[in-house]
Amino acid sequence: VTTMATTKVPEVRDITRIERIGAHSHIRGLGLDDALEPRQVSQGMVGQLASRRAAGVILEMIKDGHIAGRAVLIAGQPGTGKTAIAMGIAQSLGPDTPFTALAGSEIFSLEMSKTEALSQSFRKAIGVRIKEETEIIEGEVVEIQIDRPATGTGAKVGKLTLKTTEMETIYDLGNKMIDSLSKEKVQAGDVITIDKATGKISKLGRSFTRARDYDAMGAQTQFVQCPEGELQKRKEVVHTVSLHEIDVINSRTQGFLALFSGDTGEIKSEVREQINAKVCEWREEGKAEIIPGVLFIDEVHMLDMECFSFLNRALESDLSPVLIMATNRGITRIRGTNYQSPHGIPIDLLDRLLIIATSPYTEKETKQILKIRCEEEDVELSEEAHTVLTRIGMETSLRYAIQLISTAGLVCRKRKGTEVQVEDIKRVYSLFLDEARSSQYMKEYQDSFLFNETQTAQMDTS
Amino acid sequence: MDAVSQRVLDYLTEVEEAAEDVLTTKQQIVDLDTKRNRNREALNALKDEMSDSEKVKVCFGNMFIKLPKLKTREMIQKDQEQLDKEINDLRKGLKAKVNRLNEMQGKPALRGYNLSPLSSDEMKSINSLLNR
Repeated sequence: VTTMATTKVPEVRDITRIERIGAHSHIRGLGLDDALEPRQVSQGMVGQLASRRAAGVILEMIKDGHIAGRAVLIAGQPGTGKTAIAMGIAQSLGPDTPFTALAGSEIFSLEMSKTEALSQSFRKAIGVRIKEETEIIEGEVVEIQIDRPATGTGAKVGKLTLKTTEMETIYDLGNKMIDSLSKEKVQAGDVITIDKATGKISKLGRSFTRARDYDAMGAQTQFVQCPEGELQKRKEVVHTVSLHEIDVINSRTQGFLALFSGDTGEIKSEVREQINAKVCEWREEGKAEIIPGVLFIDEVHMLDMECFSFLNRALESDLSPVLIMATNRGITRIRGTNYQSPHGIPIDLLDRLLIIATSPYTEKETKQILKIRCEEEDVELSEEAHTVLTRIGMETSLRYAIQLISTAGLVCRKRKGTEVQVEDIKRVYSLFLDEARSSQYMKEYQDSFLFNETQTAQMDTS
Repeated sequence: MDAVSQRVLDYLTEVEEAAEDVLTTKQQIVDLDTKRNRNREALNALKDEMSDSEKVKVCFGNMFIKLPKLKTREMIQKDQEQLDKEINDLRKGLKAKVNRLNEMQGKPALRGYNLSPLSSDEMKSINSLLNR
């Protein structure tokens, strides 16, 4: 049924956080106060109070990490801030919670099956927090003294003096340590760490106090402070990785011949099951925490029937992220079937969703948004031009008005003005057509265009 | 002093106390580690400098006492174990103290640091993922 295969290939490369084009770069959060009440204008968000408050409630649930496998649908007309709300959620979640965004059409690729692409995005949206702990000796080398036996063979012995700002001590060196020290070319003045478990030595750089030892030094010589505190430290590092990343590693280690034999980029379900089992085991042992993140699917009406039934199933798994979808469709055909359904989503899936509706912006809100965009795009707008632009935004579309900002800014700079005036707006308004005027133009002149005989009542998007 | 400034003062005192507590614990760990390293040096010196039957002079406070070598080594080793344990306990307590301080200052708590660490084998496989 899916005859239309878009050329966009989802990359296997891991993309945990995609910054989409500047259209929503001014969004810094949902603009809620501590009591989750939306402020009229805050963090780049304007209006949409009810939907922002709803999103805030969901955000709190996600942050607690207790809900998983829930789905949210943001529905509304084009240009009412659906993606903006999703971006706001992403920004407020902070860098610690995985947020994966994809567009509905992205999953159609020749490289991998639709369900595989969906599975991968699902697993990208689940983080696993793990801790690494190492005992290290960290200090600045004061002196290394190595005694080589006169015969040239036999065991070497040596002493290594290390210090921190607080203490200094001498270590006796065995043969093996001497070898690795000379291999790393460690000398007095270097700041080094020694891993207690493996004995691995790594050079962090040279101490600042020894910066004037030599005049000529390689460009890659790094200067660091003499370490503080105790010599024998415990280093704890917490990593957050996504389930998908662990999947990739484990499917790769099966042999890298797979890279050449027409690798489809798919991950075997056995590998996934093994990973799930391992991660669950870690969780039981207190070695890992699961962070259910957010998967955002924009233009969700582009998914077809198979994908929707996959989603139904995937949401029930206990390792499931919070799914946020957005659509601008009303009652339309579900892709891959002949059935009509609200938002182009099957009823059984709709039943599981929390639905947030966005409504068109009022004139005041439009004005506010245009002002924020002007600041974002660094364009100065005169009061009159602002009013005119708001008018345009109300009559055509908000997106069209936003497009005019930067173009008008260019025109203004061309005439060496500092502030965009009404004339600049007029000029770009005449240069670029909005959707309504373009359609009007089409109607008038369609006879002179090519392929004008194929006339369908409506564009078929499925 | 009115109630508000009294409350602010109380709060600040509390934060200062918590911070002081963290610093003391850190200093204590440093002191214990210094001692541990000195003991280790002593053990190394005992290992190969003379025969086992000899007696060694050990400094207690400001007095030197002659003790049999084996006994001395045993004593220091016991001390070493005790130190390891104490440092471990302090480190464990330090985490709770830092979290308490963060909470008071309204900073987010450090997350994930109360997990048990992965074993080195498990870490090795994860490391390739972290590009190291």
